[in-house]
Amino acid sequence: MERSSGIPQPPTQAHMLTQSRIDDTLLVREAQRGSRSAFEELVRHYDQAVLRLALHLTGSEHEAQDIYQDAFLKAYKNIGRFRFECSFYTWIYRIVTNLCLDNIRKKQVRKEEAPVATDSEGEVYDILSQVADDRSGADPERDLMRRELGGRISRALQKLTPRERMVFELKHYQGLKLRTVGEMLNTTEETAKNTLFRATQKLRATLADMR
Amino acid sequence: MKCEWVQQNVLLYVYDELPDDARHELEQHVVRCKDCAAEVESVKKFRADFAQSPVQEPSASFLAASRMRLQEALETAEQGGWWSRLIFDPVHWLNQIRFAPALAAAIFIIGFAGGIGATYRLVKAPIENPGNSTNTTPSLASISGVSSIIQQPGTNQVTIKFDTVSPQEARGSLSDPNIQQLLLFAARNNFNAGLRMDSVNLLTQQPNNQHVREALLYALRYDSNTGVRLKALEGLGPYVKDDVQVRDAVLESLMSESNPGIRIEALRLLQPCAADSSVRIVLHRLADKDENRYIRAQARSMISQLPEMN
Repeated sequence: MERSSGIPQPPTQAHMLTQSRIDDTLLVREAQRGSRSAFEELVRHYDQAVLRLALHLTGSEHEAQDIYQDAFLKAYKNIGRFRFECSFYTWIYRIVTNLCLDNIRKKQVRKEEAPVATDSEGEVYDILSQVADDRSGADPERDLMRRELGGRISRALQKLTPRERMVFELKHYQGLKLRTVGEMLNTTEETAKNTLFRATQKLRATLADMR
Repeated sequence: MKCEWVQQNVLLYVYDELPDDARHELEQHVVRCKDCAAEVESVKKFRADFAQSPVQEPSASFLAASRMRLQEALETAEQGGWWSRLIFDPVHWLNQIRFAPALAAAIFIIGFAGGIGATYRLVKAPIENPGNSTNTTPSLASISGVSSIIQQPGTNQVTIKFDTVSPQEARGSLSDPNIQQLLLFAARNNFNAGLRMDSVNLLTQQPNNQHVREALLYALRYDSNTGVRLKALEGLGPYVKDDVQVRDAVLESLMSESNPGIRIEALRLLQPCAADSSVRIVLHRLADKDENRYIRAQARSMISQLPEMN
């Protein structure tokens, strides 16, 4: 309930976040009672972020879609066991990161080529050439340099261990706090911090060698 | 402060993970120490280099395709709940084994009694089944589509034609579970908007049923046809005050619905619970930001009638 002022304040970002957490809790409870529409609503809250993460980590639409599908099906089947010990957001990310880690490990075993990916029709293409360039056209030379840098970054990321790659992804690209990263990977903030250190050291060394 | 400490914490500084006091100390040190300042710049450059290849957002079509595929998979997926834990709970299993002979005997007796009962019913009342559905109740998975829904004027009798391997027809009262199941199926799955409209229209006559209410919520949120969404909204109207889930869906519709007619109807339905805090928030947003002048005015008028909060 709002207090103290006669004029209700517009919702702040923190308020919206709290509201969204409350909504999630209500939806999870409904889904636990068997409501599929509640679960589908939860899916809509997070599926874009999940797909973005899977797509960036796998570099393949097919694999990203499989991870997306497996993650939400797993969540649906196990939602009865969700005990609100963490947020639903952390829980679904934990499932997704585990599936992504499995995927990266399998790929490293197979030693697949880095920046090559397959689209929905099975065609092979270069991920880096697909990166949208807001500034292209203005300066082709700069565009070329950015592409080269993108290629080096992609190869450097391939040299990380799956866990280092995941911590770096969640911290750098997804912008999560290390405490949250630790929760998602079932480890401590300190371990996540150390893993991030190792990852950045390796990346900096690899990029320096490539220059 | 030692340079070593700074070198260890530069990364956390650049990634906004340092507490405020440590952050301040590091910044003070960097002003005085060239080596540490160079390290900070180097890590900042590292971060900036990586920022040049940003993460791509999945395209709308890819997201839609993924959602559709997931929805199909959810149709057949089953939730594992407390009962599944019971099944896999070894202690429970041991208890079951203890009672296994008694259980086997009970199942045998129930089966035997059921068999005799079924035979008796078959002999006693062989064919007639007036008033109830005349369908053979196919499994929903075998239905490929619903082709028509007709209500007989002045009665609550409905005729539904649907295709399995060959076209089939089901007749029965609206209260018949089989008819309800088919209507629920049609409301969610049919590609024909007119049929979805018919089924949602009939379902609104029985919104007390939880499954029906869920189907109406689903139609309100996701149906691509404006008429179907409006019909679902009307059906949910009486429950806005008491059912939080319905209220949330109506609020969501107010915020995201593109059709102003539906937004106006949603606004009207929310009048009885305008004092609710979640409704207040949405009313303020509408009053400020809704593109439709009438809705803005209506929202302002509703806010002005609300009692002030102390």
